[in-house]
Amino acid sequence: MLKSPGKLNLQQQEQRTGWLLLAPALLLLLLVYVYPILRSFWLSFYSQNLGTELKPLFAGLDNYQRMAIDGRFWESLANTSFFTLVSVTLELGLGLGMALVLNQAFRGRGVVRTVALLPWALPTALIATTWTWIFNDQFGVWNDLLQRLGLIQTGVNWLGDPGWAIWTVIAADVWKTTPFIAILLLAGLQSISADFYEAHALDGASPIQSFFQITLPLLLPQIVIAALFRFAQAFGIFDLVQVMTGGGPGGATETVSIYIYATIMRYLDFGYGAALVVVTFAGLGLAVLLGAWSLSQLRRGAS
Amino acid sequence: MPVFRVRNWLRRILLTGLAAICCGLVLWGQLGRTQPPVHLTMLTSALDAAQGQSLVAVFEAQNPDIKLDVVEGPNASNLIEDLYTSSFLLGDSPYDLVMMDVVWLPKFAAAGWLLDLTDKIPAADLADFMLPDLEGGRYNGKLYRLPVRSDAQLLYYRQDWLEQAGLAPPETFGDLVAVSKDLQQANLAQWGYVWQGRQFEGLAAVFVDILAGFGGYWVNPEQLEVGLDRPEAIQAVEFLRGTIDQGISPAGVSNYQHEDARRLFQQGKTAFMHNWPYAYPLGNAEDSPVKGKFGIRQMVHQPGLSSASCLGGWGIGIAKQTAHPEAALRAVQFYASPQAQRLSILDNGYLPTRRSLYADPEVLAKYPYFAGMSTVVENAVLRPPIAQYAQASDILQRYLSAAITQRMSPAAAMQAAATETRALLERRG
Repeated sequence: MLKSPGKLNLQQQEQRTGWLLLAPALLLLLLVYVYPILRSFWLSFYSQNLGTELKPLFAGLDNYQRMAIDGRFWESLANTSFFTLVSVTLELGLGLGMALVLNQAFRGRGVVRTVALLPWALPTALIATTWTWIFNDQFGVWNDLLQRLGLIQTGVNWLGDPGWAIWTVIAADVWKTTPFIAILLLAGLQSISADFYEAHALDGASPIQSFFQITLPLLLPQIVIAALFRFAQAFGIFDLVQVMTGGGPGGATETVSIYIYATIMRYLDFGYGAALVVVTFAGLGLAVLLGAWSLSQLRRGAS
Repeated sequence: MPVFRVRNWLRRILLTGLAAICCGLVLWGQLGRTQPPVHLTMLTSALDAAQGQSLVAVFEAQNPDIKLDVVEGPNASNLIEDLYTSSFLLGDSPYDLVMMDVVWLPKFAAAGWLLDLTDKIPAADLADFMLPDLEGGRYNGKLYRLPVRSDAQLLYYRQDWLEQAGLAPPETFGDLVAVSKDLQQANLAQWGYVWQGRQFEGLAAVFVDILAGFGGYWVNPEQLEVGLDRPEAIQAVEFLRGTIDQGISPAGVSNYQHEDARRLFQQGKTAFMHNWPYAYPLGNAEDSPVKGKFGIRQMVHQPGLSSASCLGGWGIGIAKQTAHPEAALRAVQFYASPQAQRLSILDNGYLPTRRSLYADPEVLAKYPYFAGMSTVVENAVLRPPIAQYAQASDILQRYLSAAITQRMSPAAAMQAAATETRALLERRG
């Protein structure tokens, strides 16, 4: 059959239909994600605050220069990074353990799986309030427990001490989000065929060897996905910290989100707030891209 | 002719219809005269809304054409500020009246959210307000808020212990330290002086009092000069830190808010307390262990200088986009009126903003200590009335907290605070 110029062949026609069908979804994504991001990017080159009567005035790189010497921004970035690194590492370790247990066949496994997911399902503000009471220096359960065990003599001011406060927030976050990781990893565990373990055992491998030679390599993609998810969430942490410490004491638990909130909502400094958002977004985007790239490498290696 | 007749009929029907429409319009106009009442909306804390119910009833009885809807917000005042802020930022605020803490006013006014009241209130009426309270309602020389409730920080002291030890109430910072130590050594008081050292607005307010007593200033509103790294300011920080170092204040004071301090004072554990007047009626309540045993005065000062209290308090302004500016003005004037303030004071014990009420026999009979409070309020100092106050206060709180918890030296902390505050004020906006 001769191909007539100006007429699309079948493949091209299908492609065009494909784009047409995708168009509404793409348009929605553009409006909901791309527009606000571009708008923040644009605003970050402007001064829009009380001094400009809330009108945008072009300011070039002023906001970024100011950020470079803004000690409060760097401290909040350091706090956020520390919080993210420690909490995600702990959650991955504990979540993997939980997933391994939930993957075993035992009586009442369905009930245990449901119960294990409860902390993830509860509202964060509620959890944060509860943990604030647990860590209260006068009548908190945690101090009471440690005192009964004879580990401390007098109540420790967990939330009011600049050194301890970040750990209370980490503890609450680990408690809440470990089940989420456990469920993600459990799904991965269930996709690993039991035949592998059987064959490995017949070859004389111990369960520990099986874990390192079968479970971990085959579970790696799920672990990377879970880590990516949690990384992005933990880096944007707001509600838990806002309720538990409000960013104090002495700014010791102030995260980037809380600083951005104060800049925009309390100082009405929209230009600088936008610059903070852009830099945080860029850092986060870079980290997620790195994670996604390593995931694709893993997949390529596996196939 | 039939055609002609039909036309006649048509004309008649048209005329009758027109007449009916005209009658209807006239009637409609008449009905319009007896308009449904204008609705005004104001957001306050749930506590204020509950305490203000009787005022709303009086106002609506006096103004039958206005209905006042008071929306109950959270009790934390920063959350009220957030709710007002988001409603104005979104551009279509449901609030006609804006109940504001004194420190929000410059920001709300600079953002252009408030109606200018400068020429709307008669000068004779303005003259009755305490000057600092009225000044707290001005921004760049224009009036945006009428004060309805005043507040000024005080030094509470244990009169009975001072008498027992044969000491006079302290006048200077040196006295305060010496008397505290004496009372602690005499085993009368466990602690000398408690204050609010947590990183929050209360710490900035405490510092304003101490700073005034040392003769320093935070930000000079005219020249926008920052005084935080001047020797007086560093001395003020050294004094606060020194109270912990010398064992006059408990180390935990660095995490105290107002209620933490009040509990210690009311349980009889401390000789002096820095606090707002709200603690006075609570300390003299029937079940209070310190009932009738304490006095109040202005914060102490350096020899040769005078002291001044940090001014607090609330007032009401009008949202610029309100559809009913005239009704709203009547409501603002009502809330600030002597009649409404007297009602609210007799019920709830807040300080008035009008001179006449400090001499009011009925008020004085119920609160005899108000007689001494009028000079305190008259001499009170405002926190810097700058648009970026929230940010300036955060900078100060952060470095004060660092100095108090020994993470920075007072001089280094105040130099850093001054540098950041200057950068904030010099920034284009």
